[in-house]
Amino acid sequence: MNPVFASVIEVFQMVFFVAWSVFLMEVYMWLHFRKYKETWFIPVALASAPVLVCVLILSAVGNAVSGSLIGWAAGLAFLLEIPAAFLFQNKVKGKWALPFMLIVPGFVGLGLLIAYPLVFEFYLSVHDLKLATLKTWSETGYLPFTGLMYFKQVFTMSPLSEITFWQLLWRTLWWTFINVSLHVAGGLGLALLLNRNMKLKGIYRTLLVVPWAMPQVVAVLAMRGEFLESGFVNIMLHRLGEWSPFLAHLGVAPVQWLSHHAFMTCTIINVWLGIPFMMVTILGGLQSIPQSYYDAASIDGASSWQKFKNITVPLLRPVIAPAVTLGTVWTFNNINVIYLVTGQAGGTEDADILVSALYKAAFTFNRYSYSAAFAIIIFIILFGVSMLWLKLSKGTESVYE
Amino acid sequence: MSNTPLKYNPKWIKFRNRAADILIHAALIAVALVFVYPVIRIFSVSIRPGDMLTSDSLAIIPQNATFLSYKKLLADTNFLRWLWNSLIITVSTSVIGVSLASTAAYAFSRFKFPGNKMGLSLLLGTQMIPAGMLLLPLYLMIMKMGLVNTYLGMIIAYSVSSLPFSIWILKGYYDTVPRSLEEAALVDGTTEFGAFYRIVLPLSTPALAIAFLFNFTSAWNEYLVARVVLADSTKYTWTLGLFELQGQFLTQWGMFAAGSILVTVPVLLVFLYSSKWLISGLTLGSVKG
Repeated sequence: MNPVFASVIEVFQMVFFVAWSVFLMEVYMWLHFRKYKETWFIPVALASAPVLVCVLILSAVGNAVSGSLIGWAAGLAFLLEIPAAFLFQNKVKGKWALPFMLIVPGFVGLGLLIAYPLVFEFYLSVHDLKLATLKTWSETGYLPFTGLMYFKQVFTMSPLSEITFWQLLWRTLWWTFINVSLHVAGGLGLALLLNRNMKLKGIYRTLLVVPWAMPQVVAVLAMRGEFLESGFVNIMLHRLGEWSPFLAHLGVAPVQWLSHHAFMTCTIINVWLGIPFMMVTILGGLQSIPQSYYDAASIDGASSWQKFKNITVPLLRPVIAPAVTLGTVWTFNNINVIYLVTGQAGGTEDADILVSALYKAAFTFNRYSYSAAFAIIIFIILFGVSMLWLKLSKGTESVYE
Repeated sequence: MSNTPLKYNPKWIKFRNRAADILIHAALIAVALVFVYPVIRIFSVSIRPGDMLTSDSLAIIPQNATFLSYKKLLADTNFLRWLWNSLIITVSTSVIGVSLASTAAYAFSRFKFPGNKMGLSLLLGTQMIPAGMLLLPLYLMIMKMGLVNTYLGMIIAYSVSSLPFSIWILKGYYDTVPRSLEEAALVDGTTEFGAFYRIVLPLSTPALAIAFLFNFTSAWNEYLVARVVLADSTKYTWTLGLFELQGQFLTQWGMFAAGSILVTVPVLLVFLYSSKWLISGLTLGSVKG
């Protein structure tokens, strides 16, 4: 069959399935919100819940799923429906019908594709799923229980081949710190340069957001190319060395960036990628500071540095603080740059941070349960750091008085 | 005149400003060059003739420039197929994502129902989950449903990833639409849903466009999920395809560059055209709190 035609059919199936499940959910909600007064409500509701679950599962996965699973799901739906039906009849009484009908499709989607995977991750982390048990698991659904064994292994066994968890943790913190500070410094510098009336401002601004605007995959892969043996960086180093023997004496010469300096390469690429976002954000903040403050300060005889320190910095803080928070989470979770630079066969693990090691452990090394436990530990770290950060940034919030 | 300090001499001030201007322009031009240079260089590699792909020349327009790489890319690889796959997956996920978000956001914006506040903060909470964390269970679910290597699997994996963010943007925008419009419509005899569907939704086209664009770009540029779910080279999205081309570096460098240019130029144009819009859109929600 024509592949284009086949793909259109596949998409129609998908759209049909989504519309179908939304329709079923809405029917269920309609029954519960609008018909709760009818005498036939309770029996119909009790019957409809398991039927609905069966129909949804069957239309999602066809006949590939085992009968016992459907039985379990239908039974569970029936049990849950007993309190639900009585709740609707006696407490809810048709209130809030519209809002619930509106949010149900989205939240069921979120529940199935975010909440359920989270629970599943916990299940995996205390069971033994690896390449050797994958086949039996997908056929029979049976997995041996391992308790906290994999959580212990995260600290004692390398997620990849050599690097340890603690090395990864320190490198992640260092990576986040160095990237975010360079992003802010670079973005602030460029924004200050741009924040004046001058010719060509629009053109500079446009050119400077190019790394951000490009598809990240292209940007990273192209930059990676420039760090290869015959890439731009080495050509330049080579020419510099030829041009001045003094520099060559200092050690300016082509290097194996990807194998010997992978972390530095990733950092340079990520700094290049991240500065435009900070620049645009900070520029927006700068433009919202009224010129009259600066004029008043000039009349009082303030120097440029004093103006910067006493007007610009405090008034920029409400713009920079959320941008830094966002940037920190993004940098902490940045798999893309590191994986695209070092993820190919034979890539090093000298640049890996926690999340990229997690990705590689799961999908290059196929350590499923191990990486589930690893992911939970990373999540706890990120959660702790965020809570700490929120507390710290609350302490500085009063600048706005 | 002669005893005014240099600091207040108008000629000196003019000279100083001039010099500062020139320095600033020089600095900006240098930085802009660094930022844009990789793009220029991809372009120059893409028009190099085949025997010069790894030469160390830095000329932007190489000798014997040729579009052979583009021809080879379109003829010898599945590049168009990859683009088509990406397009199908991206459009479907964006449509699904925006329609789910637009209704849910309306509920959050207009109704006080139990769980309203909690739902909104749960949505924010989902943004804290590391992206890599959900990937493994999602992959195993998709595998168990037999959807590996299908568009369906990709669409399922993508469809809700931008949902929380879209809901926040749209809620922020709905909050700015005056309620009296809906009340008038209700008096005229529409249902509550009709007021949303006929009045609020058409008024929110800008926010819907922003949400769509956001969904679209995040799915269009996605790499990591695709790497896991898609295995067959005819089902690849363009991100996987380009990675593949660059993986076999020496032989395919020209084609990689050509493909990058073909993908990047439209994206750049759309971004530059919509950037002002996008950035103001991102702050829509936060301004109104």
